[in-house]
Amino acid sequence: MKAPAPWWLALAAGLLALAAGTRAATIEGRVALPKATGTTVVNKRYEIVSSGGVVSTNPPVAVVYLDGDFPAAREAPAVRVEQKDLKFVPQLLVVQAGTRVEFPNLDDTFHNIFSYSPAKRFDLGRYRMGEKPVPSVVFDTPGVVVLRCDIHEHMRGVILVLATPHFAITDTDGNFRLEGLPAGNYRLKTWLDSRNTQERAVELRADTQLRLELP
Amino acid sequence: MKPPFAAGFTAEAARFQWRLLAGLALVVVVTTAAVLSAARHNIAREEEHRRETEFQVSLALLRSVQAHRHAALVERGRVLATKSRIQAALEDNAEDLLYLSARDELRDLLAPPAQPAVPGAEPRQTARFYRFLDAKGRLLAPQPGAAAGELAPGEENRLSLAALPDQPQLGYLVLRPKGGEAELLELIVIPIFSNDSGGKLAALVLGYNPLRLDEPAGASPLASGIWFEGRTHLAPGGPAASAEFAHALDAALFGAAPPPRRLQVETGRDSWLVFLQRLDAGGIYAPAYEVCAFPLGPMLARQRTLGGQILGVGAAVLLLGLGLSYFLSYRLSVPVERLAHDSEVQRVRRAAAEAALETTSAELDRAARFSANASHQLKTPVAVMRAGLEMLQARDSLREADRHEVEALIHQTYRISSVIEDLLLLSRMDAGQLRLNFTAVSLSELVAAALDDLSAMAGDAELQVEQDCPPDLRIAGEKRYTALILQNLLENARKYNRPGGTIRITARETGGSVRLTVGNTALRAIPTEVREHIFERFHRGSAGENVPGYGLGLNLARELARIHGGDLQLVRSDEAWTEFTVSFRAAVEAGQLSA
Repeated sequence: MKAPAPWWLALAAGLLALAAGTRAATIEGRVALPKATGTTVVNKRYEIVSSGGVVSTNPPVAVVYLDGDFPAAREAPAVRVEQKDLKFVPQLLVVQAGTRVEFPNLDDTFHNIFSYSPAKRFDLGRYRMGEKPVPSVVFDTPGVVVLRCDIHEHMRGVILVLATPHFAITDTDGNFRLEGLPAGNYRLKTWLDSRNTQERAVELRADTQLRLELP
Repeated sequence: MKPPFAAGFTAEAARFQWRLLAGLALVVVVTTAAVLSAARHNIAREEEHRRETEFQVSLALLRSVQAHRHAALVERGRVLATKSRIQAALEDNAEDLLYLSARDELRDLLAPPAQPAVPGAEPRQTARFYRFLDAKGRLLAPQPGAAAGELAPGEENRLSLAALPDQPQLGYLVLRPKGGEAELLELIVIPIFSNDSGGKLAALVLGYNPLRLDEPAGASPLASGIWFEGRTHLAPGGPAASAEFAHALDAALFGAAPPPRRLQVETGRDSWLVFLQRLDAGGIYAPAYEVCAFPLGPMLARQRTLGGQILGVGAAVLLLGLGLSYFLSYRLSVPVERLAHDSEVQRVRRAAAEAALETTSAELDRAARFSANASHQLKTPVAVMRAGLEMLQARDSLREADRHEVEALIHQTYRISSVIEDLLLLSRMDAGQLRLNFTAVSLSELVAAALDDLSAMAGDAELQVEQDCPPDLRIAGEKRYTALILQNLLENARKYNRPGGTIRITARETGGSVRLTVGNTALRAIPTEVREHIFERFHRGSAGENVPGYGLGLNLARELARIHGGDLQLVRSDEAWTEFTVSFRAAVEAGQLSA
């Protein structure tokens, strides 16, 4: 039979946690990315390519995230994937499961955004610029969702739905930085494309500053 | 005009004519038979060839229809692959949505619009079903309600392939509905390529009722179909689409892999000429063969009719040929008969000529012998006569006038004996009895001796003699006769000379022969027409009676020159000069020579 913890103990634990929050762990480093195919892209933009059912970006970028048992996002602000100049912007979006994503049409033409991906199947139907309310979808299952437009076959976007709020997209050189990480034992995962996710264990304390070469 | 000996060879010529006729008739018969046989054979071959060509043409048409359909379907596949939802279904792990996404796109394949797009164009053939194969060739089964055409699961699974083809492929599938007739469907497999990577994403398989051969113009094939997996699937509705024929063909082709391109099939009632051609060159499914069968009955009947006509024509040609050959043999045998006749006449004539020649030769021989004998027999009386006359002349009691007479008689005996000598010599030459004893004779000595004799005889006419003989010239011959030649020539040169004229003797050796020329100033020219006769025996030309001689000299000289291997010729005769040339063989050496 255990007596409930005294109130001060709870207060002390709360203060400690607050202190840990201010001095959270950080991981930064570099992901060795595969070489870009095709023409050299001068600006930092990339596009989604799919080859044999494998979706990746070109030039390649990776998503590095801390996998763990985090609570789903609740009433987090909606994120936007715009359709602009017959492209999805951004083309690669990473969200925590439970996030609502809005798909505003900024082009002068109809778009019909849909996805057949098992993680989230939806079809927004045709709509024009200025459609109100902005068509949106809540992505509640972790996985890769390939965005397509029924009207414009070349349009391709990817939403990577993760169970964690701790993620970062590398730049095209592979550099990333994750901040504000909670202490604990986790698996650090590196998403390279829809078929290739590498992982490794990390042990984080409140003041851990890791520098890693991945994968 | 037929000669009396014609009976024998007329019979022979008749035999020849018959043999010729028989030979020609044989040739005509054999040729006609060969041509007839070749013609019949050719007609059969032609007929068969025509059928095969018809089949190939129909097949080519069918192929082109198939090719058009393929092209259209390949385009459909390409368009389909560009569709976002199809791509999404194939690439985003959403195969369950594939048929639903394709339903709207492919609906028209299963139920084409009632009106053809182009007025007048043939309505498109309706597909019986369509199915997708995934990138590995496995069948993607449609969801219920996909409206992709009904197929039993067992039949559906037979569509799976080990690998997707790169090109549209043709195949066949046999449907065996429970309690129904087996049915053959034509399959078309169209690969679908990814828009992004160009790799093979999937394949669309369409099932159609098989395309059927167009009926060729004219004689149509009475049965066509497809032979697949050991069974013949005849096109329905054909007038002779009998199960009997299909069974017979299946039996004929049993175990044949690949089947022959053409064969004959017998059914109970009829026989058929069957052509087969493989339909699917790609070969991802079991091979199928287009079958086209022509009934042989009407063909054989036509051949019989044609054969009868050919036989009729052949008989006519044969009759004509026989008539012609009779005519020809008659025409040919006429010259042969004439030839035979002529050769018979020739033979008789030749026999006669040979007989005459023999007679002549015998007579000649006899004459020569007689002449030789006669000459001998004559010499003795002349010698006796001369001896008598000389004794008479020596008698003192003889008066001066008589003495002259006797002297003249003695001179005549000399002439007689000289003629007899010449005749004797000639007759011996004629009889071939003169044998020469060849020695090397010095020509200059010969000339000197002859000139001596000449000066002894010269008498009244003062003749000037010039000679140009190299002293060392030697000829091959017998001295007696060569001297006689020269003597005769000089005699003539003296006799036919003008008073105070010239005799010129020259001799030259040229290339193994020695030419001796005796020329003299002429009394007159020897007329042209006489020249060729002056060497004949007893010819005296136009010498005139006051010139002594009896026409033997030149003949004798020429004959002697010729048996010495040389000749004697008149080389010049005009108003001023007459010249003879005699040629001898030069003596090779001083020793003995033989002819």
